[in-house]
Amino acid sequence: MPRSSIREIWKREHLGLTMIVASLAVIMVTLFLLFSYQQSAQLSHIREQGSSLARVISRIPYDKLVAQPGQTGTLSVLQHTDVQTGFAYVAVVDAGGVPVAEVTAPGVLVPSSLLPESPAAWLGERTLSLHGDGRSVTEFFAPLLEQGDIAGYVRLGYFQPGFGLKTDQLPLFASFALPIFLLTPLFYFLLRREVRPFREATDRLGNIVGNNISLGKVELTASDELQGFMDRFNHFVGAVQDRIGQLEADRSELETSTKLLGFKRVRIESALQSFPEAIVVLDESGVVSLANSRLENMVGVPVAEIIGRKPSEWCNDPEVVAFLSGNVPSGMRGMHTNTLEFVPSGTASRTIRIEPYPLFSPRDVNEVLGTLVVFRDITAEKLVLNSSGEFIAHLSHELKTPLNVLAMYSETLLGDGVDNAQIRVEAANVIHDEVERLVILINNMLSISKIEMGSMSIERKRVKFGDLLQDVFDSCARSGREKGIDFRLNLPREISPVALDKNLMRIALNNLLTNAIKYSDPGGTVSMTVEESEQTLRVSVKDDGMGISPEDQDRIFDKFFRSENEAVRQRSGHGLGLSLAREIIQLHHGTLDVNSAPGAGSEFIIEFNKEANLLKQAV
Amino acid sequence: MKRILIVDDEPHVIRIIRLALENAGYTVDEAAHGLQALDYLQEHCPDVMITDIDMPRLNGRELCLEIERTMPDRPFPVYVLTARAEDEHREWSSALDNLYFMEKPVSIRRLLAVLDEYFANSITTGEQPCWSAR
Repeated sequence: MPRSSIREIWKREHLGLTMIVASLAVIMVTLFLLFSYQQSAQLSHIREQGSSLARVISRIPYDKLVAQPGQTGTLSVLQHTDVQTGFAYVAVVDAGGVPVAEVTAPGVLVPSSLLPESPAAWLGERTLSLHGDGRSVTEFFAPLLEQGDIAGYVRLGYFQPGFGLKTDQLPLFASFALPIFLLTPLFYFLLRREVRPFREATDRLGNIVGNNISLGKVELTASDELQGFMDRFNHFVGAVQDRIGQLEADRSELETSTKLLGFKRVRIESALQSFPEAIVVLDESGVVSLANSRLENMVGVPVAEIIGRKPSEWCNDPEVVAFLSGNVPSGMRGMHTNTLEFVPSGTASRTIRIEPYPLFSPRDVNEVLGTLVVFRDITAEKLVLNSSGEFIAHLSHELKTPLNVLAMYSETLLGDGVDNAQIRVEAANVIHDEVERLVILINNMLSISKIEMGSMSIERKRVKFGDLLQDVFDSCARSGREKGIDFRLNLPREISPVALDKNLMRIALNNLLTNAIKYSDPGGTVSMTVEESEQTLRVSVKDDGMGISPEDQDRIFDKFFRSENEAVRQRSGHGLGLSLAREIIQLHHGTLDVNSAPGAGSEFIIEFNKEANLLKQAV
Repeated sequence: MKRILIVDDEPHVIRIIRLALENAGYTVDEAAHGLQALDYLQEHCPDVMITDIDMPRLNGRELCLEIERTMPDRPFPVYVLTARAEDEHREWSSALDNLYFMEKPVSIRRLLAVLDEYFANSITTGEQPCWSAR
C-alpha cells in the first residue's frame, strides 16, 4: 500500500485507531494488574498454607511420617489435598539431609539441599530451583524433633505462581475484556458521529477556500450539544457564501464597467486624436492630463513629454505659460475664455491661437474639473483674411485704373476746348477699349469668385472637344491676325469626346490664347496642339513671344499678379486670366502648367487624365 | 514756361493729361516709371511732378522716397495719383513735405485747377537741374 494512502487512512481514522490501541493498552494493563494481584495473592496463600502445613507436619512424630513398608505414609495424603495451590513436593529428610520419605507432584524431583545446623534457623522458607526443568520452587522447611533432638526435617515445596492465563480464568478475563472491547467501537462510533459535522464543515470550508462556491445550501446537522455551534456555522457559511456571491457579482459588474469605460476612453481618445485641432486638457492643478498628437506639431514637444507636466515645464514661450497658468480654473475663474495668439519660436510664418474652455462637471455646473485648451493654427485663416483684404484692394485698384482713364477721356470728350476731331475719335476708342477691359475684368472676377465660393455649377456635357478647340481658336485668331501673328492649330483627326463645361472651358482656352497673342510680337506664331494618348489628353498653347522669367513663373497663376517687367506692363491686363484658367482646368480634374524662358516664348500645357472622373463620365 | 513731369505706365493716361495740360499752356515731360523719372530729374527740374503709384521697375512710393533721400529740399510739389485711399499711404508719406494725393478717378478739370492754384502762389524755377550730384 502506498505510503500516501497509509497517511491518508491515518489522517482520517487516527481517532478510531488511537482508541483501539488505547483500549488494547487498557486491557493489557488491566490484565497485568489482575495477574499481578492474582500472583501475589497466590504467593501469600502458598506462604500461609506452606508455613502452617510445615509447622503441622513438624509436630507429627517422625516415624509416623516415614511410611513403613506396606503402609501408606501420612505424607501421601498431601499429594491429594492441595494440588490446586501448586504443590510440588513434600519430603522428610533425616538430620543429615538424606530423604527418607517423599511425595511429589508428577515429574518433580526433590532438589537436594543443605539445611541449616543452627537451631535458630531450623524453621524457614527458601527458594530453590528444580533439577531438570529449573522451575522455581518456594520451599518451607521445619525441624522434626524427637525428644528435643533434631531427627530430621520436613521440606514442603510449592511451585512459585506463574504469570499466565489459566483456562479456568478465561471467563474472568472475558468478563473484563469484553465490555472494554464492546465499549471501544461504541465510543468510537459515537465520537465519529459527533465529529462528522466538523469534517463536513472542514470539507465545506475547503471548498469555499478552493473557490468552489456552487455548493448551494448544505445544511449540516449535529447532536444537540453541537447543534448550536453548527447552526452558527451554517449561518456563517451562508453569510460567507452570500458575501462571496455578492463580491463575485460586484467584481463582474466592475469588470464590465471597466471594459465599458476602457471602450469609452478609447473612443474619446481616438476622437481626440482625430480632432483637427491640437487639444490639451489641464486638470485643476494646471497639470496636463490629456493631449492629442497634433500638439506636437504646434509646440514642437512630443506629447509623452507634455502629459503629467505643467505648461512651464514644456513651453518656452513665457506669454503662453502665463496665459495657460492664468486659465487654470479656480472655481468660476475658469469662465473667462479670452484667447491668445502667438507665433511659435522657430516658425516665424505661423500663427497659433489658444482658446481655453472650462470643463464643468456634468453633475454640478459650479464644479470646474479643468480646462480644455484648443491650439489652432490660424496661419491659413490669417492668410485668407489678408489675401481677401489684398484681393479687394487689388480689385478696387484694377477697377479704378480703367475708370480713371474713362473719367479723363469722357471729361475730354465733354469738351473743355478740345475740338480736334482726331482726339475725339481717339478718346472714343480709348473709352471703348477701357470699357471692354472693364467688362473682361468684371467677368473674370465673377467667375473666379463663383468658383472659389463653390457656387459655380459646372454643367458637364458630352462635348466634341475638337470642335470646341477649333471654335475658340478661330475666334482668337481673327482678332490676333490684325497684329500680324501667324496661327497654327494641330488637331488630331479624332479626339475622344469628353464631358466638360463648354462655357468655362471656352473661357480658360480663350484666356490662354489671348495671353499668347498679347505677349507675342508681330510676325510671331501662336500654335495650339492637341495630343491624345491612352491615358491623357494634352492641349498646348505655345507662343514665341517674350517668355516669362523663372521668378515670375512661380507667380503667374496668382490672382492680380502683374510682372514688374516693363514690356509686360505695357500690355494691358489685370492679372486674373491665368488664375481663372487654372481654376477652371482644376475644376475639370486637369492640370495647367507653364514651360517658358525669357525671350524663348511660353508654352501653357493643359493635361487631362483620361482615367479621371471627367473622361469616364464622358464615355 | 511751366514744366510738368508726368510719371505713369499707362500710355492712355499720359496721353490725355498731356493733351489737357498742353492745351492749358504747360510744357509736359513724361516718364513710364520711377527709374525713368529719376533719370529725368538728373537733367531737369520740373515745376510740378505728377506720378502714378503702381508702376514697374520703380513704383511711385519708391520714387518719392528716393527723391526725398537724395534731395531733401526739393523745390517742386509732387502730386500722387492713387487708386487707393490717401490713408493707405500715410505710413510712408507722412514724413514727406510738399506731397499731395489725388484719388482716382482724377478729373482733368480738377487737376488743372490744382495746378492753377499752385502756380498762382509760386515762381517757376526754370529748366536747370534740381540737383547735380546724385
